[in-house]
Amino acid sequence: MPKTRNRHKRLDGFQRLFLLLVVCLITLLGCILSTIPNSAPGLADAVARLQERSGVKSPVTAVLLNFRAYDTMLEVVVLLLAVIGSWSLTKSPLPEQDTDISPVQMGVVRLLAPVMCLVAAYLVWQGSHLAGGAFQGGAILGAAGVLILVSDFPWIRTIPALPLRIGLVLGPLFFVGIALCCLFFTGKLLGYPEGTAGWLILLIEAACALSIGITLASLFAGGRPDNTMKKIQPPAKHPPGKSL
Amino acid sequence: MIFLNVDNPSWMITPIIVPLTAGLLCFLFQRKTFAIALSAVLVNLLAACFLIGQLLTCGPMRYSMGGWQAPLGITLRTDGPAVLMLLMTGVTGFAITLYARGYFSFRIDDPGGTDRHQQQQRYFWPLWLLLLAGLNGLFLSNDIFNLYITLEIIGISAASLAALSGKPAARLASFRYLLSSLLGSLTFLLGIVFLYKSCGLLDLDLLRNLTENGPGVRAALALMSVGLLLKTALVPMHFWLPPAHANALAPVSAILSALVIKGSFYLLFRLWFEVFASSITTEALNVMGGLGAGAILWGAIQAMRQHRLKLMVAYSTVSQLGYLFVAFPLSRAADNAQVWSIVIFMAMAHACAKSAMFMSAGTIFLHFGHDRIQDLTGVRASLPITVLAYGIAGVTLMGLPPSGAFIAKWLLLSWALASCQWWWVLVIIAGSAMAMIYVFRVISRFIVIPEGFSSQKLEFHSRLLEWPALALALISLLLGLVAPWLLHILAKGSIDLTQILPGGLP
Repeated sequence: MPKTRNRHKRLDGFQRLFLLLVVCLITLLGCILSTIPNSAPGLADAVARLQERSGVKSPVTAVLLNFRAYDTMLEVVVLLLAVIGSWSLTKSPLPEQDTDISPVQMGVVRLLAPVMCLVAAYLVWQGSHLAGGAFQGGAILGAAGVLILVSDFPWIRTIPALPLRIGLVLGPLFFVGIALCCLFFTGKLLGYPEGTAGWLILLIEAACALSIGITLASLFAGGRPDNTMKKIQPPAKHPPGKSL
Repeated sequence: MIFLNVDNPSWMITPIIVPLTAGLLCFLFQRKTFAIALSAVLVNLLAACFLIGQLLTCGPMRYSMGGWQAPLGITLRTDGPAVLMLLMTGVTGFAITLYARGYFSFRIDDPGGTDRHQQQQRYFWPLWLLLLAGLNGLFLSNDIFNLYITLEIIGISAASLAALSGKPAARLASFRYLLSSLLGSLTFLLGIVFLYKSCGLLDLDLLRNLTENGPGVRAALALMSVGLLLKTALVPMHFWLPPAHANALAPVSAILSALVIKGSFYLLFRLWFEVFASSITTEALNVMGGLGAGAILWGAIQAMRQHRLKLMVAYSTVSQLGYLFVAFPLSRAADNAQVWSIVIFMAMAHACAKSAMFMSAGTIFLHFGHDRIQDLTGVRASLPITVLAYGIAGVTLMGLPPSGAFIAKWLLLSWALASCQWWWVLVIIAGSAMAMIYVFRVISRFIVIPEGFSSQKLEFHSRLLEWPALALALISLLLGLVAPWLLHILAKGSIDLTQILPGGLP
């Protein structure tokens, strides 16, 4: 029986063969990769040449938000799609209330969460000249959101769906809006007008960081916000006899 | 205004930006979603028609995003195959949107219906519109990393759509679909890594001009092809397709079978016959053709054996995909303008016919509560238009004239005979004969009304459930009649790189 074998972590013949083939494939690909001469120029030179016109000092941000901003716009949509997909599947299975959260954890989260938001904002701003940007800032925001979620603050459950949706869509929609404005003013989609690139990039990154943070936290929550719960919960919390 | 000039390449972003924005708005508002979706698909269809007109007057175009030119920036381009795929997506997508409206209204109005159907509709529209944006982006993109991102958009939204019905079987199938699709995307991405390391370029035009043909490029091509084949579900890798397509909601099945599969196939064909045409060997083409032949036969055999209508239609997709791959060894013999003709005809005809079939199957499922082929006797009495649509779509699957599939098969047969590769002829004829069997097996049940049969009176009829399917079936049937026009567009679109207009405005 394959099931019992799996339980004992023993591989059957087919799995061994598969493993062998995978190892062979990886070796082969590794060999090929190592034989490729490093002669290809790549695009780094082009980035360095056009850096000044991009409006930011960090080459990574210049590529992500200016030279190849269209890629980033679609990438942000991919993240949103993950949330839409998970919301379409199920309601958020937040843990039952009245679980004991240690006061130490509550205190730490109360201290950490605002600081993390600050760090996220700093990272977004730093993206214009050093490593940083929307994705890094968003990741920190998302982590703050996860901390708040696991600490089970009571107000988490009462967040209505609409502000959450606005927060999720804000980044991509703002990005598309800026892209269309650029099309209107300069005739090029995502072709920022002369001199405004730096500011526009910062604005886009701020909006996207917020959306990415909410996206990651929503993915951790694992489903759409349960609006029906609000209606059901008050009687559950205060049984009819005692509530009034 | 200079922006509104007909020859402005900026128009080609319309089919991407409009569904994208509409999808975001649908998710945000969750009310009047159908109005948003309908206007988006309508604009999308009009944009596809406009781009065809533009192609005919101005020739192929390039558009640089943000005004950054090719090696660094991202380029979009229109050419014959791209605009025809846009047209296919536009027409099919429009009909599917109407059908989806009918489908969800029917289920929501159903007295036994629950909140579930409302939820499904709520998330269907944003997912579908974003998927549409991804598909259009794929058809237009000329940058290999951008193509990967469009593949991601398509894969994630398609898997979410497949899971929408919420049944355990659908969820399991969609999970498998998601994993296969992600594996395909990641393999494709690994291929891009190899390609970038050996060439240092991402733009397809520049890659095509490169003479580099080292092991790195070949490994890249192999990785990208395998990833795309997994996403296209060519036969040994088709395991995820039938359950995912058969268990999804009917409009979703239509989207997946008609459009999503074509996206990755289109990309594969473009890579093989345009970008890396010089690195492709005859053996590789024959392997693809062999797999395609296997797909035709295996898919048809499985389709004949199925007891459930939707599974049968899903297996017929596996079979029909095979013809697209049999075109690989035969297209080598064609000259530049004709390379695309077979696959474009086949893809367009199949998209229309297969979505019509899935819509009909969905309508039948809605009205009878099951899709067991055995118990579907005399459906004609209650749903005549649906049965008619199913029958006409079946004509296309069999490849009878004047359908677009007939043109494609005719070209396949004539090229096979012209290049003395008679074995493909046998496969194509056998596949068509088996298609006839699995189509007629169902049709005969639908049409024959046994003695003493009292047809079920259906109290509720939605025109949106029947007419879009019939319209698509008729389009697929009459596609052969406009063949010269389509060939003209293809020929116009394949003017070579010498005539490329510089992208963007000065």
